[in-house]
Amino acid sequence: MPARRRETMPALLMLAPFLAVFLLFFLVPAIQTFYLSLTESSLTRTSAFVGLANYATLVQDPSFWASLGNTFYFALLTVPPLTILGLLMALLVDRFTRAGPWLQGAYFLPFVLPISVMTLIADWMLQPSSGIVNHLLGMQRAWFADVHWAMPMVAIGTVWWTVGFNMLMFLAGLRNIPRELYEAAALDGASGFALFRHITWPQLKPVAGTALVLQLIASLKVFGQTYIMTTGGPYNTTRVTLHYMYETAFTQSDAGYAAAIATAFVVIVVLLSLLQGWVARRLGGSS
Amino acid sequence: MKYLCNVDRTVNGKRRALLRAAGLAALGPGLAARALADTPARGASTPEIVRMWTLLSGGDGARMRALVEEFNASQRAVRVESTTLKWGEPFYTKLITATVVGAGPELATIHLSRLPNLAGGGVLRPIAPAELAAVGLAGGDFLPRQWAKSQYAGRTFAVPLDQHPLVLYYNKDLVGKAGLLDRAGKLKPIEGIDALTEAFRRVREATGKPGMTMESAQSSYAIWRLWLSLLAQQGLPVVADGRFAYGAAGAATLGRIAAWFNAGYATPGMDYPASTSQFMGGNAGFMINGVWEVPELVRGTEKGTLGFDYGIVPLPKLYGNASAWADSHGFALPANGERPMTPAKAHAVLAFVAYVARHSMGWAEGGHIPAYRPVAESPEALALQPNAQYAEAAHNVVYDPDGWYMGAAGPLEAIASKFLPAPLAGQLTPADALRRFEAEAVRLLRKRPPLY
Repeated sequence: MPARRRETMPALLMLAPFLAVFLLFFLVPAIQTFYLSLTESSLTRTSAFVGLANYATLVQDPSFWASLGNTFYFALLTVPPLTILGLLMALLVDRFTRAGPWLQGAYFLPFVLPISVMTLIADWMLQPSSGIVNHLLGMQRAWFADVHWAMPMVAIGTVWWTVGFNMLMFLAGLRNIPRELYEAAALDGASGFALFRHITWPQLKPVAGTALVLQLIASLKVFGQTYIMTTGGPYNTTRVTLHYMYETAFTQSDAGYAAAIATAFVVIVVLLSLLQGWVARRLGGSS
Repeated sequence: MKYLCNVDRTVNGKRRALLRAAGLAALGPGLAARALADTPARGASTPEIVRMWTLLSGGDGARMRALVEEFNASQRAVRVESTTLKWGEPFYTKLITATVVGAGPELATIHLSRLPNLAGGGVLRPIAPAELAAVGLAGGDFLPRQWAKSQYAGRTFAVPLDQHPLVLYYNKDLVGKAGLLDRAGKLKPIEGIDALTEAFRRVREATGKPGMTMESAQSSYAIWRLWLSLLAQQGLPVVADGRFAYGAAGAATLGRIAAWFNAGYATPGMDYPASTSQFMGGNAGFMINGVWEVPELVRGTEKGTLGFDYGIVPLPKLYGNASAWADSHGFALPANGERPMTPAKAHAVLAFVAYVARHSMGWAEGGHIPAYRPVAESPEALALQPNAQYAEAAHNVVYDPDGWYMGAAGPLEAIASKFLPAPLAGQLTPADALRRFEAEAVRLLRKRPPLY
């Protein structure tokens, strides 16, 4: 079938760079990580094959479960606001034709900051004695040293930092909705919230589903923010799973166990994403 | 937490010029000439390059930079190129990872408390007695305690540079108001933890200012150092035979430290810079800290910015003896895996190390107690102020216990620094903090020492 072949070859050629990168930098390391998790290893040397021993330790390791709890807590604090705020911002940008581009720029700007800059800004603003937040509130609270406030503050910083990306996604979705739908509805006398409920939201649902899944994965992958802003403190109450994995590998030179943490975490994240996608599709299908 | 000496200080011009002059004067027939003679004939225009990684920052960093510059100026056979890296966990992680793949430097400053970890893990290369002899050094040139800490499995893995114990600083104005000085203006002897607590209370009541300051924020190492000292004063090790060995005294001792903060004699939650500036600003009667803050006080006094008279005493005997935590800096040669260094390079490296040892009087001015005996026991060093006030501390030092997980910014300290400060801010009870510390650290005790 020469016709089919004519299509296959260019397709493969165009896919090749991606496949090469995917194999080299994802699939092979992932398999290696899994193998590493079955061994007792320091940073560079493997001293013994231990089978599933690392996993047996893992399920009984309170530090692992605590770090997982912290990770989910962070996701809970960030995923809903990031998705909802992203949507609201997109609606605002879309609504105001003249101020829109300016708003879009302002909302997106924090996203371009490197994580070190973003955490520095947050740290300055939240300083106990000199920070603007305490100044405005008339307090001297050490936010990042406070058991109750440390994680919410990291979450607020993260929302401010990354919400611009979700806004762009929703904006793209909004701009794909045919204008005729709105015109037709307006002729029928619909306005305001009714337009949103019956036209915008149903058309935007697939985008919202994607945004949620992407955001969930991004939030579960949190590391830099807590590592820099709180170093996992106070007493590990903000230490997330990737941070625990980092400490296990690099501070304690236990690469085998760290690989087990990584593998278990990947499995959990994949399962959750699948579950969320399934729920989103169910909800989408029922309307 | 990551700071041993983080306040930005520079050696003042005058002292620096003096140091340089001293360096040049000592050059003469000394080792620089020998280094020249021993280096293979590559010509003076192509010196042997020695790359050094150092974790010394602040005043220590400035002093080490001055020593490197003076050494480079003193001869042309060897050129030391020094890179300063962030001290603590990041430094050691980078040293270990770089060295195992053969990309480490030729020379590194380390803490001797990390030797079981670094030498045991294969990160360092042993230094042969003959190599030391070639630059005019021998084990007997160093104070026995520090020399012993430089040995691992019967071989030398580091050349000790100094010792820096925990001491008690006091502000004579504030402490005087509380009636704690004798007629000569020195701190009346304090013995027993109740007496020290009472001293803190009296400063607080007499002056309205905190009696004491020390680093106490989350991720502080200082609490670990003090706790370790006080346990040693009770004859208790933290770890013995692979188990936590402090028993009920652990929580009780941590509770005594926490009580200072809970009662308002000290401010909880202060990070390192905040705690030192509280003392330097004349806002605390006492400060518990390492001797590395000495140069800042000397400088403040010289410049007239300090605003008060100060004194320093060894950490008092609060329980059975006067043990005080200490650590030592030392020079070590990274193993660099499959790329061992040439004899010529090793000679060049050790020539620099010997130079620094012979010129460690300048290092002593950083508050440290030099490890090189001809300097440490010289009349100048013994008379050096304020070092002479706490010289006694050297006889009662206690290092981190041996163990691959121990030592400065090591795995166990990293865990301790998370939990031990929590009771100071009232976030956890001492018993709860230690329970959590043990729950996480016990895995380290059970694990085989890693070979990196």
